[in-house]
Amino acid sequence: MNLDLFSNIDGLVLRENGNSIPYADRAERMDALPQTDMPASPQLAMAYVPFQQWGNTMEADKALSCGTLFTDLVFPFERGGGK
Amino acid sequence: MDPRCALLRKIKQYDFSLKELNLYLDTHPRCQRALAMFAQYKKLREEAVAEYNDKFGPLTPEQNKNLQSWDWVADPWPWERS
Repeated sequence: MNLDLFSNIDGLVLRENGNSIPYADRAERMDALPQTDMPASPQLAMAYVPFQQWGNTMEADKALSCGTLFTDLVFPFERGGGK
Repeated sequence: MDPRCALLRKIKQYDFSLKELNLYLDTHPRCQRALAMFAQYKKLREEAVAEYNDKFGPLTPEQNKNLQSWDWVADPWPWERS
């Protein structure tokens, strides 16, 4: 029985560090964000969320009732799955 | 809607827009348009809160400006609202 489930842990940790932003590099890295590209070949069981881009905004009163300030994010969830 | 509720509602709306921009800026920290809009709503909120404090008293205990009286408890309590 192979219990060595984390034999590759070094690789995992290295990748994780590569994706997080060290404090010292943060200012420099901030200019690079947000990334907009979705992966060309998405992996099974991985979820991908495209980075939001600046778009139209609503007036404050309408925003509160819509639940978002951004018109791109207005997704009223209605009975029947919106069909 | 009575003027006190209308002003409270306005503050609530500004709070919401500020929170939305806060979340957006967390992932887009150099977005000038979001930064400008945040500053704008922050100012509107400050003005609305100042107006509320003047007309209807403190919204939070530290806004109690009356040195002779603790106006914080002069508001109707939640169970006293009609």
